[in-house]
Amino acid sequence: MEPVAAGAMSPFQAGVFSLVVYTVLVVLFIASQLFLAVWLGEKKKSVEKSRPYECGIVPTGSARFRYPVPFYLVAIFFLIFDVEGAFILTWAVVYREVGFAGYLQMSFFILLLLAGLLYIWKQGGLDWKEALNRADC
Amino acid sequence: MERGAQPSRLLSIADTIINWSRKYSLWPMFFGLSCCFVEEAATFTSRYDMARFGAEVMRPSPRQADLLIVSGTVFKKIAPVVLRLYEQMPEPKWVISMGSCANSGGMFDVYSVVQGVDQILPVDVYVPGCPPRPEALLEGLVMLQDKIMATEKPSRKVFHLGGGTQGTDRPVLEIGSTKSRDPRGPGYEGIPVRGTSILPGARHWGSRCDLMWTPGARRIELSEGELGLAAEMRERFGERVRLEPHSSDMPTFQVARDSVKDVLGFLKNESKIRFKRLDDLTAIDESARRDTVWNKGLAEGISDAGAVEALSGRERRSRPDYTVVYQLLSFDTARRVRIKSGLEKEGGAQVKTASITDIWPSANWYEREVFDMFGIRFDGHPNLRRILMPEWWEGHPLRKDYPGRATEMAPYTREDAVRRQPMDAMEVSTMDNKGPEGDREFFLNIGPHHVSTHGLLRCIAGLDGEEIKSLDLEIGYHHRASEKLGERQSWHQYIPYTDRNDYLAGSSLEFSYVTAVETLADIRVPERAQAVRVLLAELYRLSNHLVWMATFAHDLGAMTPNFYTFAEREMILDIIELITGGRLHAEFLRIGGLAADLPEGWEKAVGDLVSIFPRRLREYEKLLRKNPIFLLRTKGIGRISLEEAMDWGVTGPNLRACGLAWDLRKKMPYSGYENYDFEVPTATEGDCYARYLVRVEEMLQSVRIIEQVARNMPSGRYVTDDYRYAIPRRDEMLRDIETLIHHFINVTRGMKIPVGEAYGVTEVPRGEHGYFVVSDGLGSAYRIRVRGPGFANIQTLPIMAAGESIADLISIIGSMDVILPDIDR
Repeated sequence: MEPVAAGAMSPFQAGVFSLVVYTVLVVLFIASQLFLAVWLGEKKKSVEKSRPYECGIVPTGSARFRYPVPFYLVAIFFLIFDVEGAFILTWAVVYREVGFAGYLQMSFFILLLLAGLLYIWKQGGLDWKEALNRADC
Repeated sequence: MERGAQPSRLLSIADTIINWSRKYSLWPMFFGLSCCFVEEAATFTSRYDMARFGAEVMRPSPRQADLLIVSGTVFKKIAPVVLRLYEQMPEPKWVISMGSCANSGGMFDVYSVVQGVDQILPVDVYVPGCPPRPEALLEGLVMLQDKIMATEKPSRKVFHLGGGTQGTDRPVLEIGSTKSRDPRGPGYEGIPVRGTSILPGARHWGSRCDLMWTPGARRIELSEGELGLAAEMRERFGERVRLEPHSSDMPTFQVARDSVKDVLGFLKNESKIRFKRLDDLTAIDESARRDTVWNKGLAEGISDAGAVEALSGRERRSRPDYTVVYQLLSFDTARRVRIKSGLEKEGGAQVKTASITDIWPSANWYEREVFDMFGIRFDGHPNLRRILMPEWWEGHPLRKDYPGRATEMAPYTREDAVRRQPMDAMEVSTMDNKGPEGDREFFLNIGPHHVSTHGLLRCIAGLDGEEIKSLDLEIGYHHRASEKLGERQSWHQYIPYTDRNDYLAGSSLEFSYVTAVETLADIRVPERAQAVRVLLAELYRLSNHLVWMATFAHDLGAMTPNFYTFAEREMILDIIELITGGRLHAEFLRIGGLAADLPEGWEKAVGDLVSIFPRRLREYEKLLRKNPIFLLRTKGIGRISLEEAMDWGVTGPNLRACGLAWDLRKKMPYSGYENYDFEVPTATEGDCYARYLVRVEEMLQSVRIIEQVARNMPSGRYVTDDYRYAIPRRDEMLRDIETLIHHFINVTRGMKIPVGEAYGVTEVPRGEHGYFVVSDGLGSAYRIRVRGPGFANIQTLPIMAAGESIADLISIIGSMDVILPDIDR
């Protein structure tokens, strides 16, 4: 391993003390804010106040049940395609360096993504009600 | 000494800082109960801009608010909800009571209304008015700010030092000790309230009305077609059907109880003229009729109750105990017919008849209402239970022996508001699969306190995720007893109550009511008055549709149209104010004409509106019509077919959006509408977008009518000269003694309307709003029936919403343009 050339990195200094002070200050500040928010002001507890708000009516049944979340699927799909965006953007930065081979590889990658999208589409994964019925999530 | 003074000085500085901060950062929660809320909403739009006073946009949820503005009538059915929302707000909190109803019950001293919200929760500031103008609410807000600054010492509470004051610290008022029950204020204890003389059982000597002569009620000549119908009925049903010899508005048949169902089925499906729509279904309690012996005895001076009782058993049979009234409409021939059926009490004082829910599904709610109000049972009804009054209610309010006034009943207290909770969603719902076995399904209450229900409507949705499996409506939270009130207010005094049956349509409702009375008594209205009535009705249509457009867009997430359309609405309200002196409630129409002539400068004001309105509307409309989100959320959503709409009695733009050009202004013209050139816009899809298109086009047509009315305004009198029925013009009243006498009689005990009945209806912004008035020859109505378009329209909501998602429900309600006072009345 070659030694690092002088001047390539900033010289090391013992900065731990200021970091510690900074950390302590941040922790204290946040703690004080949290404490003040909890402590300041008058609090009155009552049955009505702790009841869930449902347009002024006493809610029926419990809120702990299997709630179908079709949005969950859509959100997951979004996440997957979003992360893949990160690869494509990185490729754009080094577009010249990786050359034609990189271009082919990336095209293949994008085609694969498109195929995946088409598959999801065909399976009804983007359809709200369809997703609700089949996913049983 | 020095040491003790130091902390208290610090605290008082802290007090000032905290109070100042609170004063300018109030977070109001609206609890829009009725009319006042419309003015409250106007307060945060562009002209009044409440944010200037440090009270930002209103909060719909109690969790984010510290100022409760109770605006409007506090009904006994909704009071538990009001109290709960107050309790759910965090500390410190303040309350503004806005408007006469919230302050004291106001003009609604009637069985369903709490006589002041201060009986159930503490109030800081009262804003008087009916409704108060937006400026008055701003004044109330400033008063509250002053109160916070001047009287509260919050720092001891904030720092947990014991003592100190913040928020509302006034006590809840108690009837009898800290609050007077008398609606007229303290000091009237010995004087009976008005109107008791016509209640049965009241021992009063004959009515002054018996000494007043009037011509008889109007009599119509039946047309060929109607006589043909009568012959057809006679042939088919023989003696069981009898055509009433005289009627004032439409052919009326008396039908024996057992045949009612056959007759109605015949009229709907078999007769030559098909009556496809059940216009209305109601009942009349006949027990207080003055031609029965009971009252005759009183009139003749038999004051001994026993003697009257002995007479009564014999001759009272001439009238049934109750009459059920069905009113049908034929779309093809633009005709109506009335079917009446007398009912007698049976064993155990039960009264019943057959349900017609299998002929018209819309009869479901109508029959429930009759059951609720009169106690008449309908055999074969799928779900006969109360609809307007809460389940725990005792008695049937529209029976003649039922006390009308809230002040005659036990006072409504905070304990009642805690105890009398609205029914649980599980009990109301008609969802098949209830409870935990379907572990994905659950109930959600949308309303009564919800921004998008546009009033006190409670939708109980049975949901599977976001999909609506079942939808049930619970109404009656806004039941203001306007039918009962008609039985004690004089004919003229009732006019202000009609405005309040639809607080966005103002004069349009007075229009229906005075039309009914004028039809009954055959009063001729001068042409000028007719034209001004049309002008006002169309101005209110514009104003209503602008509010509808703003709120519909707002429901779908578009805030902007709100601020624009309210600007033009204020312009319209300014014209209305110029002409009538009122904003929401004009109270300007009178029986036989108007309250006053048009003021100077009205042409210019109207002309200004006409010249800018179409262009502005197109501009605002672009915000929506070109918005892809708006289109996605309205096109194809909330569909209803024309067949269904006709069957369920849907009226107004909601019907026209299904493709039928049915508009009373064209089909059964009144008040000179036949003289104006305008079109009836329709759409075919019957979905939310179609309803949107129809209303927008309607606004443009209204502007056309307004322009024509203004151009061709006839000259002449603004009120009839038949002063038997009208309040005379002041200049004429001062000229001769007869007119003076008429004036005196008509403004004190009120005029007498001849015995009879009539239905008056006009096309108000929401559909056909009609009044069925029954007179017993007295100074006030024997019975007033209000046929609100909303009652029929909203009944179709479950059909439109079935299978849609919960977000679409909001879109559907918004597109239907509902308003609660004409549903619950």
